[in-house]
Amino acid sequence: MASDTTKVLYGLYNDEEDLKKAVKTANSSHLDIMDVFTPFPVHGLDPILGLKESRLHQLGFIYGAIGASFGFGLMSWVFTRDWPIVFGGKPYWSVPAFIPITFEMTVLFAAWGMTITFYTICGLWPGVKAKSLDNRITDNKFCVAYDITNADESLVEKLRSFFSKTGADEVNVKTI
Amino acid sequence: MNITNTQFEFAGKTKTVLLGGMALGLVCLVLTFFGDDEFHTRFWSNFLHNSVYFTGISFMALAFMCAQITAFGGWMTTIKRIWEAMSMFIIVGIVLMSVMVVSVWGHLHQLYHWNTPGIAELGNANYDRILAGKAGFLNPIWYTVGTVGFLALWYFWATKIRNNSIEQDTKETRSLDYYKVQRKWAASFLPIIGFLVCVFIWQSVMSIDGHWYSTMFAWYSMISMLLGALSLTVLLIIYLKSKGYLEYVSRDHLHDVGKFLFGISVFWTYLWFDQFMLIWYANNGEETVYFKERMNYYPVLFWGNLLLNFITPFFILMRNDTKRKFGTMFFVACVVFFGHWWDFFYMIKPGARLAAYHAAHGSHTTEHEAAPIPGATPASHDATTSTTPEHGTESHGTEAHATEAANGAVTTAADHGKEALKEGASKMTESAEKAVDHVTEVVKEGAEKVVATATTHAEPTHTESAAHTETHEGEGHAAEGGHDAHAASDPSRDFKIGYTIPGLPELGIMIGFLSLFLFMFFRNLEKASLIPWRDPYLEESMHHETGVLIDSEQEEKSGHDHH
Repeated sequence: MASDTTKVLYGLYNDEEDLKKAVKTANSSHLDIMDVFTPFPVHGLDPILGLKESRLHQLGFIYGAIGASFGFGLMSWVFTRDWPIVFGGKPYWSVPAFIPITFEMTVLFAAWGMTITFYTICGLWPGVKAKSLDNRITDNKFCVAYDITNADESLVEKLRSFFSKTGADEVNVKTI
Repeated sequence: MNITNTQFEFAGKTKTVLLGGMALGLVCLVLTFFGDDEFHTRFWSNFLHNSVYFTGISFMALAFMCAQITAFGGWMTTIKRIWEAMSMFIIVGIVLMSVMVVSVWGHLHQLYHWNTPGIAELGNANYDRILAGKAGFLNPIWYTVGTVGFLALWYFWATKIRNNSIEQDTKETRSLDYYKVQRKWAASFLPIIGFLVCVFIWQSVMSIDGHWYSTMFAWYSMISMLLGALSLTVLLIIYLKSKGYLEYVSRDHLHDVGKFLFGISVFWTYLWFDQFMLIWYANNGEETVYFKERMNYYPVLFWGNLLLNFITPFFILMRNDTKRKFGTMFFVACVVFFGHWWDFFYMIKPGARLAAYHAAHGSHTTEHEAAPIPGATPASHDATTSTTPEHGTESHGTEAHATEAANGAVTTAADHGKEALKEGASKMTESAEKAVDHVTEVVKEGAEKVVATATTHAEPTHTESAAHTETHEGEGHAAEGGHDAHAASDPSRDFKIGYTIPGLPELGIMIGFLSLFLFMFFRNLEKASLIPWRDPYLEESMHHETGVLIDSEQEEKSGHDHH
């Protein structure tokens, strides 16, 4: 794609079961879907779309491990080197007391790390303009989208007939 | 999808195997009965341990199902007959706990220190101040109500819910009417089990360490039972599938049970750690004694618990694909099932052993002395140490310090009974008079003794008292460092198979009880269709899909179309 904009042909469905059927039909007629948008996670959609398991959670584990080491290291350093204080007669390096902070740091690092990674992958950062096909896809419509920027007329016709056959409620074209 | 094999048949071969398992369990029980101490502690603690664990599995399976029903959980409809059949074991639990009740009334064993005659009578040789204070709850009547009585109540709910569910199968159409009734029973069961299970656990397990208490204990052991139930569910799903049943139960169902197994294992760890950390931090002798006993003399039980029930499920089930693989789930479920059996072993055995030992040797009060968890120095001890070098000076700060130290010692001492009182009083070199006042207020019975001790220690010169403190400190360190030496000569804590670690008879008994459980389970499973045909959520459960397929599944499914 040379230009920044994409011309999209999309169909809106009213029900997630219709959507799943449509995706299966598209698969069997070799019409490669650009993307699918749903207002909520539809169980069983990922395998039909052929989406592989996300590797985001592997990063999550790494972020969590870093957070755990950081939290534990921080507590150890503060209470043995930087500012040793006796609390209730406990030794300076009292591991059980560090566990809650270690846990919190694990969660914090994993959560922030995964969020930032996810936003970066999706190209979402402050000031970005939303490329929304239709506002109803976050409300009550299930959308199947095709990139027709470089498509010829016959393919577009084929897609339109596919949408009407699979019971799409609406078919629109939008350049985003 | 063609559904076949919806009627489970309890085949002769399985029956034979289970009967064999039960026979093995019985033989092992008899084995532990003979060649044991005079109270047959090993036998009774094994019996209690397995009765509580397997009964717990049955009612927590019911509680878990009720939570699902209350929350309109539809995914589990295809496997709910498993939980219904598991809950029917409560009736056996009533029989098992009745044996315990009879043994308590008949004083057949010494698992429960509070059950000693005369424990609450002032002046009696067996009088125990702490247990006398708890006698309103820790007595045979409450024991009967709290175990058998509550189990009977839960069994009533279990039969209601199961009968409702089976009756629904006979209806013409699927309708929500039955579900609404079911939901009322299920929702009302949740508070009943939630509150009463605490009493059940306090009576049957926590009261073994009668002097000790923990507010986290009931939750922690309740979750332990729930994990036992969930891991057994996984094992049974895999078993039934291998026998050709439950073909409509997919990896997605397994995945969801796996998520619960993972999440609740983490929750168990949270409770386990909280119970430990709060006690460790507060460092009150009457609470730390429980962990001191276990960490010093039962390290295999203590750390093994964490390895089996946290490390293993956490790191194995963390990944998405492991929860979808039958082999991995089978392995983890085995570990967790055994792990929570181990957990109850850890809760029951050390306390039961001490209780029996003290019953035989009559030295119960002195054993529950104030004792810090290793690695944690008690506050008063530390304060005394810091003042020692400054004993001779008259400065203001030192006095304040010493008073603080003494106060700390007073508080500790007041809490810890006679033994600790003596110890605390000896530390109060500077303000012994004040200490005496405090002590007299708090513990009347020990006052005379303490006055004597405190006065003795208040009179000597500074040099002497400082020397005394040092000596005392030295003793403390010696005691702390010499645990192993002590252990070697302590018959109530020595390494002993069946207490320090589970022995072969214990494993045999576990197999026996498990066989009994499965025998009852299969008998009840046989009585109803494996599929609740008229459940309104059946369709949803049959088409339950979750998560992303793992690689091997992608290959499996790429060949044919869905549904």
